[in-house]
Amino acid sequence: MLRRHSPLNPDRKRTVETAVFIVVLVIALALFFDFTNGFHDTANAMATPIATGALKPKVAVMLAAGLNLVGAFLSTEVSKTISHGMINEDGINAEQFLPIIFAGLIGAITWNMLTWLLGLPSSSSHALFGGLIGATIVGMMSLAAINFGVVLSKVVLPALIAPFTAGVIAFVVTKVAYAATRRYDNKPDGRDGFRWGQIFTSSLVALAHGTNDAQKTMGVITLALITAGLQDREHNDPQLWVIFACAITIALGTYMGGWRIIRTLGKGLTDVKPAQGFSAESSTASTILASSFFGFALSTTQVASGSVIGSGLGRRGSTVRWRTVGRIAVGWVLTLPAAGAVGALAALLVVWLGPVWGVIVGAIIAVAIILAIFLRSRTNAVHAGNAMSEVADSGHAVKVKRNPPPTRRQRAILREQARLKAEQEAREKAARKARAKADAKKAADEKRAVEKASAQAAKAAKASGKGDRK
Amino acid sequence: MSITIDWIAFLEVFVAALAGAALVVCFYAFGLRLLVRAGRAPVVAPAEFTDAITVITEKEARRAAKAAAKAAKKSPLTEGQRRFALIAAYASFGVSALAVLGGLLLLVLH
Repeated sequence: MLRRHSPLNPDRKRTVETAVFIVVLVIALALFFDFTNGFHDTANAMATPIATGALKPKVAVMLAAGLNLVGAFLSTEVSKTISHGMINEDGINAEQFLPIIFAGLIGAITWNMLTWLLGLPSSSSHALFGGLIGATIVGMMSLAAINFGVVLSKVVLPALIAPFTAGVIAFVVTKVAYAATRRYDNKPDGRDGFRWGQIFTSSLVALAHGTNDAQKTMGVITLALITAGLQDREHNDPQLWVIFACAITIALGTYMGGWRIIRTLGKGLTDVKPAQGFSAESSTASTILASSFFGFALSTTQVASGSVIGSGLGRRGSTVRWRTVGRIAVGWVLTLPAAGAVGALAALLVVWLGPVWGVIVGAIIAVAIILAIFLRSRTNAVHAGNAMSEVADSGHAVKVKRNPPPTRRQRAILREQARLKAEQEAREKAARKARAKADAKKAADEKRAVEKASAQAAKAAKASGKGDRK
Repeated sequence: MSITIDWIAFLEVFVAALAGAALVVCFYAFGLRLLVRAGRAPVVAPAEFTDAITVITEKEARRAAKAAAKAAKKSPLTEGQRRFALIAAYASFGVSALAVLGGLLLLVLH
């Protein structure tokens, strides 16, 4: 660790200058990562309300940006997990470790952008963790530098459990939402009102995103500051300027990225009903916020995807497209080790070229990647095929029938209606039969009466004929 | 190297998230149900008609509004009962909002 107030010899002074230079680079790169995180994840919060028409895209983007900003100020638990937990800082010196954080960030950004260019499902958060872990293991040449207990309990297990949790919750609440508003008399059920609710819940998802994702960058910057001795190790809360910088950057990324991504989302998510969207967003927001409370660093993308699948299954007559689910799950599982591998490669640069040249070459590579992506974003129009939305992909993982089968109560009502109809028909048939019988009898009586009358008339005529002859 | 995992924390997250989501969704859905009962079935047309919207078209929205107004006229409830249902609906929406605020407050105060 560097001591700020120790008397410095020229070598020591150069070391401090190098450390400060690398800290500045780490902060810049971390803030760029934060920007791309906001850029990428606008879609997660606002995919469903746009797809159901609850919000206009412009309003959705502005709302998401504003609430990401507010959300970043709500909690610091996740930041503490990253800045003081994942990596064993004891025995690591600043000169050695700062370039490794830098390499980890390069790994995260490279993997994030690579997956974006190739259209592969990925998670910004796991790219960050993977990059940091891979770079630390290779850079420090030791597994002991990683606190695997924290990584497992606060990163890996939440990554596996949270989408499933969100899916189960979304499934349950979707069922509840539909059951509570179901009408059996074919009168208006008021489910349109869930569109109003969606404005509320999607705002909550944006807030939760700001709370969980902005903190990850705060954690990285705080880790760099602690390593460089610019912040006390015992007080591992992010400094106020760090919170402000991360909050503003993620909000800016959300606002800027939203314009490109969000206009295509209507084509991405198909057939999402307002009740379904409302339930999915409630599940996403509550899962992320509850996890933030415990300091679990989640991927908003994965949680939102889990919720979309769960809420789709909560609708009647839905079936899972396992191939799509499998493709998404493979993307999720691969992100952490793949970003780790890229982070490790970046750390190898630092190990081979030394901290200063390693960081300079790494910075050049990072700038090249950023430039390539900028040029790519200028030349390629955004369309449904290349828009970044794993949440939209998740929407395709569930197939919902256009005319779902009736519920048990609806079946009972249909049976009762069929029974009443049959009874009615039987009654009508009996009445028709009785009427026909009566008509036949009447006709027979009339016929008999006519015959009788004609017989009488004939008799009378005969009698009158006899009288005339006399 | 010993790895300790706090499994209870995962259970707590699940229970807290389920309780939070269930509170919000149940009360909001119940509020909508009561709103319909009060003869004010909401008909909300999409803010913008994206290509994916299969939910409702403008024409369908107008037809739905007409059907809702017709159903409201035929309501078997008295004026007092309808007013009570409306108040209960708004109270339900209020509880739903309070559940969210409570959750956020818990997070901030923690």
